[in-house]
Amino acid sequence: MEKLKQNPIVVKLGFNRIVLCGVLLLMYLLFSVLGENFAGIPRILSALNYAYFLGFLSLGVTFVIATGGIDFSIGPVMFCSALVSGYCLTSYGVPMALSLVISILVGALFGTFNGYLVSHWSVPPFIVSMASMNIAKGVASVFTKTQSVSWPQGTSEQGWFRSLIKVGNFPVGLVIFLAFAVICSVILNKTRAGRYILSLGSNREAVRLSGVNVKKWEMLAYIICGTMAGIAAIFFVAAYTTVQPGYGDQYNNEAIAGCVMGGTSMAGGLASIGGTVIGVFIIALLQEGILALHFTKDYQLIITGIIVIVAVYADVVARRRKN
Amino acid sequence: MSKSSAAGTQNKSVISRLGGQKFIVLLVVIGLIIFFGAASPDFRKYSTAMSILDYSYYIALMAIGVTFPLITGGVDLSIGTGLICYSLTGGFLIVQKGWPVGAGMLVALLLGIIMGLFNGVLVAVMNLPPFLATLCTCMITRGLGSIFANRLGISWPTSGTEGSWFRNIFKITVNGTKIPLGFLWVLLLVALMAFVLNHTKIGRYTIAIGSNKEATILSGINVKFYHIMAYVISGFFAGLAAIAYSAVFSTVQPGTGAGFELEAIGGAIIGGVSASGGVGSVEGSLIGVFVICLLKTGLPYIGLQANWQQIITGLVLIGAVLIDIMKKKKEKD
Amino acid sequence: MGEVILTMKEIDKSFPGVHALDHVSFEVRKGEVHALMGENGAGKSTLMKVLTGIYKKDSGTIVYEGKEVEFHNTREAQDAGVVIVHQELNMLGHLTVAQNIFIGREFKKGIAIDDKKMNEEAAKLFDMLHIDIDPSETMSNLTVGKQQMCEIAKAISHKAKVIVFDEPSAALTEAEIDELFKIIRDLRKQQLGIVYISHRMDEIKVITDRVTVMRDGTYVGTLITEECTKDDIINMMVGRVIYEDPKQHSMVPENAPVVLKVEHLNAGRMVQDVSFELRKGEILGFSGLMGAGRTETARAIFGADPKESGDIYINGTKVTINSPEDAVKCGIGYLSEDRKRYGIVVQKTIAENSTMATLEKYMKGLFINKRAERGIAQEYVDSLATKTPSVDQLVVNLSGGNQQKVVIAKWLVRNCDILIFDEPTRGIDVGAKNEIYKLMNKLAEEGKSIIMISSEMTEILRMSDRIIVMCEGKKTGEVDIEEASQETIMNMATREIS
Repeated sequence: MEKLKQNPIVVKLGFNRIVLCGVLLLMYLLFSVLGENFAGIPRILSALNYAYFLGFLSLGVTFVIATGGIDFSIGPVMFCSALVSGYCLTSYGVPMALSLVISILVGALFGTFNGYLVSHWSVPPFIVSMASMNIAKGVASVFTKTQSVSWPQGTSEQGWFRSLIKVGNFPVGLVIFLAFAVICSVILNKTRAGRYILSLGSNREAVRLSGVNVKKWEMLAYIICGTMAGIAAIFFVAAYTTVQPGYGDQYNNEAIAGCVMGGTSMAGGLASIGGTVIGVFIIALLQEGILALHFTKDYQLIITGIIVIVAVYADVVARRRKN
Repeated sequence: MSKSSAAGTQNKSVISRLGGQKFIVLLVVIGLIIFFGAASPDFRKYSTAMSILDYSYYIALMAIGVTFPLITGGVDLSIGTGLICYSLTGGFLIVQKGWPVGAGMLVALLLGIIMGLFNGVLVAVMNLPPFLATLCTCMITRGLGSIFANRLGISWPTSGTEGSWFRNIFKITVNGTKIPLGFLWVLLLVALMAFVLNHTKIGRYTIAIGSNKEATILSGINVKFYHIMAYVISGFFAGLAAIAYSAVFSTVQPGTGAGFELEAIGGAIIGGVSASGGVGSVEGSLIGVFVICLLKTGLPYIGLQANWQQIITGLVLIGAVLIDIMKKKKEKD
Repeated sequence: MGEVILTMKEIDKSFPGVHALDHVSFEVRKGEVHALMGENGAGKSTLMKVLTGIYKKDSGTIVYEGKEVEFHNTREAQDAGVVIVHQELNMLGHLTVAQNIFIGREFKKGIAIDDKKMNEEAAKLFDMLHIDIDPSETMSNLTVGKQQMCEIAKAISHKAKVIVFDEPSAALTEAEIDELFKIIRDLRKQQLGIVYISHRMDEIKVITDRVTVMRDGTYVGTLITEECTKDDIINMMVGRVIYEDPKQHSMVPENAPVVLKVEHLNAGRMVQDVSFELRKGEILGFSGLMGAGRTETARAIFGADPKESGDIYINGTKVTINSPEDAVKCGIGYLSEDRKRYGIVVQKTIAENSTMATLEKYMKGLFINKRAERGIAQEYVDSLATKTPSVDQLVVNLSGGNQQKVVIAKWLVRNCDILIFDEPTRGIDVGAKNEIYKLMNKLAEEGKSIIMISSEMTEILRMSDRIIVMCEGKKTGEVDIEEASQETIMNMATREIS
C-alpha cells in the first residue's frame, strides 16, 4: 500500500483522486446493476445537468475554503442571480445575452459584499454567509414579487442559451465546465492570486508580514466564489428552466461536499480543483442513482450530510496526526 | 488593558447599568411598535398583536436554546429544519398512527434532544467546525422530516377536533377574546433558562467555554460534557419550538424550515450575544427576536413586501456583529 | 525563615537539542521569599514548570513537606498546595472575580450556584489579603494588576503553601507593585514559601530574602539578599565566559550615511518614545530582557502593528508605513522571532516561500514563472548552504536553521536594504548559528543595514557595531561596541525607571 502511494505516477495524479475515481466508477456500476434503466446515455446526461451548476458552485467555494473561510450563501445567491436576471428577461424585455451578464454580475456583487465584510472587517465568515443567504433570498423575492420565473424553452427564439448545456446529445456543458475547471486550476496553481490565496489560508500572518496585501487577495477569493455562483445560475436555468424564490439552501451543502470530498481542507491552505471536479461528479451521480433506485431526493440530503461529516472528520484527524 | 477600564469600574454608564445592548434593543422594539402603529391604523388592532405573538413563539423558543451554543462560541444551524422535522414526525404519529397528542409532543422533544446530542458530539468530541457540523445536520433533519412525512404536509389536530387541546396551550379563547397564553410560557421559559445560564454549573461553564476554552479545561472541568449540553439545550428548545409551530400553524410542510434558524440566531445576536462567544443573555435574545418579528409582521403595513424583512434581518445581523467587532477594537486600543 | 518546605534536587531536563536543566537544585523555606534569577533562557521557567507538573523531569527528586512527590499536572500541584501565578493570566474574562476564583468548585445551594456565598468567601479572602476588589466585578474590567491579585487570592483559596510568582511585576504600575509587595510580605508572615522570578534588580533587593541565580540551565549559586550587592548578582548572571571573537570595533565607515531614522516612536505600553538611527552597512544590536519592547518596536516600524505617533525617515525622506506592504516597498525586511507563526508558510515549498515577498518579479504575464522561481530559490539554497534535497521540498520538513535560511532568502530575493533580524538564532544549533553570523557580516559588508534583536549577550557583543538597550518599552541606553561590556548592558537593561 505504502509502496503504491510512493509510485511517481500515483503521486502525480494524487492518491486520493485515484481513490475517488474508483468510487465514482464503482457507484456507476452499482447503480447500473441495481437501478432500472440506469446504464445508458439519458441518465448520464441527466446527471451531467446536475453536475454543471453544482460544479460551478463547488469550483467557486473551493477558493473560499482554500483561504480557511466558508461561504454557504452560494445556493441562495445562485437562485437570486437566476431570478433577478430571469425576471429582467421575461418582464422587462432585457435581451438574453444581457440577462446572462446580469446573472453573473449579481453573483459577483454578492461575492464582493461577502468578501469585503470578511477581509476588511473580520466578520466571521459563517455570520456573513448566514446574513447573505437571507439577503439573497429576500432580494430575489422582492424583485420577482415572490413569483417563480420560467426561462425560455429550447424551441423558442431566445432558447439559444440552452445550447450552453447540450447540442443534440453532445454535452457542450461538460466541455465548458471542464474548461472552467482547468482555468480555476491554473488560477489556483499558476497565478499570484492562487499562490496568495492558498498561502494565506495556511498562514495568514506570515503572508501579511511578507508585505502582501492579504485583504485584497482574501476578498478576491469571495468574489470568484460569487461570480461562479452567478455562472452556476445560468447552467441551472439552462437545465431546469424554472426557478422559485426562497430556495437554494440544499445546494450549499452539496457544493461544499464536493469540495471537501475532493481533498480541500476546511482549515484552509490545501485545495485541489481536480478533486473538486470528481467530488462534484460523485454527488451528481449519487443524486441520479438515488432517483433511479426510486428513493426520494430526501435520502440524498441525508447521505450528502453524512459524507461531509465523514470527509471533514477525516481531515480533522489527519491534521491532528500531523501535529 | 485600557486606561478607561482601570478607572471605569466605578463609573459605569447608565445604559450599561440598565443592561447595555438589551436596553437599547428594547428601545428599538418600542420604537418599532410606535413607528408601525403611527404609520398604519390596522397595525394598532388587537389581532395584529396576536399575529405578531403567534409568529414569535417558535422563533423565541429557538432563540432561547441557540443562545447556549452561541455563547460557547459555536452556532447551531440545524434548529430551523430540525423544528420542521420534529413537528412532522410527531404529527405523523398522531395523525397517521393514532398516537395520543401528548405522545407526539414527547416524540418531538425527544428527537430534538437526540439531534442536539448528535450535534454536541460532532462539535465537542469530534472537533468539527460548529457551523459545518450543524449545516450537515440541518440537511439531514430536512431529509428525515420529508421521509417521515412521506413528502406530504401534515396538520396536527385542528381546533374543534379531538386532541386539539394542545392548541390552547398557546392561545385560549375566553368569552370570545383570544388570550396569548403562549407568551406567558415563553416568558417563564426565558426566566428558567436565564436562571440556568446565570446560576447553574451548566450555564457557568457554557460562558467559561466561550470565554477561554483552554483555561476552562485547565480548571479541571469536564469541558466536553458541558459543551455537548449547550447543543442538547439548543436541540431541546428546537423540539419545544416544533410544538409551538404545530400549535400555531395549521399545516406543516416538509422541505421548509430553512431560514428559521437565521431569525433565531439573528435575534440572539441583535439581543447582545457575541458572535465570538462568552457574552450573551437569554432575555436579550428574546428582545432581539421581537425586533425581527415586528419587522416581519410590520413591513406589509407600511406597504413593503414581507420579504423585505429577510433583507433587513440580514443587514441588521451584520450591523450587530460589526458593532460588536468595533467595540472590541476600541477596548483593545 | 522557617524550615525547608520544598527541595528540588539535581533536576535534569532535556528537550530535543537543548539541555534545558543540568542537575539544578533549589529549595524554599517556610516564610521566605526566594528570588530566582537569570538571563532569558537560563531555565527559571522550565524549572518551575517541572515543579508544577507541566513538564516531566528526566531525573532528580522533588521533596515537598518531607515527602517525595511528582505532580503530573497543575491541578495535582494545586491540590497539594503548590500554585504558580503566571505571567500570562489564565482568566475567564466574561465571568466575575468570585466566579473565577471558585471555578470548578462552586458552592451550591440545591442545583443553583450560590453566588452570594462565593462573593462573601471571595470578599473574606480579599479582606485577609487587604486587597480592595469587588468580587462581583467582571474580570475583564479589572486592570492586569488587579487580575493578578485575583490569581493570588485564588492560590490562597486553594490553601497554597508554596506560591511561585513568574515575573509578576512585568505588567504592573508602581502603585500596584507596592500593593503586591504588601501582600507578599503578609504571605511571608503566614509562613508560606514564595518563589519570586523577576528581572528587576531593585525589587529583588526590596522584597526577597535569598537569591538563587541560574545560567544556561545550570545552578550558579544562592546568596542572602541582604549580604550582596546588585553587582554581585549581575556577575553571577553573566558569568565569566570567553566569547568567540567578540567584535573589537565598529566595522562601519566613518562617513556611512544614515539609512533609517526613527523619531519619537510610540506604540502602546511597550514602545515609548523610541528614537534611533541606523547607518549603511551597520549591524545595530537591540539588547534587553524579555518583554523590554524590542520586538514591539520592530513590529511598529515594520507596520505589523499600529503606531500612535512617531516619524520614520528612509535615506532622509520621511515615509508613511501603515502596513507591512508599505514597509516592504520602503525596502525593509523583517525576520520574526517566531518563524513558524510569522515567518514561513510551512505547507509550501522552499521555492514558494522564497518568492513570497517578491512574486510580482517572477511572473510571465499572468502566470508564475516557476522555472525562474525555482532558479532564484536554488541560487539562495546554494549561497546560504541550505540543506535540502531540492527547492520543491516543503518547508515543514526542514530543520530550524534551514527554515531560518529560507526566511532570510525570502528577504534577500526581495533585495531589501534594511533587514530586521528578530532573535535570528533562537532554536538553532551551533553550527547553523555560525553560518547565520557569517551571512549577516557578509550582508553588512555588502552595504545592507541590519537591526539585530537578540537576548543572547554573546550574540550581541559578537555581532553588533553599536548597541541599543531597551527596558520596559523605553530606550535606556546606547553604546558603541568599543565601550560595551556585559555588565554595562545588563545594568542598562535592568535599570529601574519610574
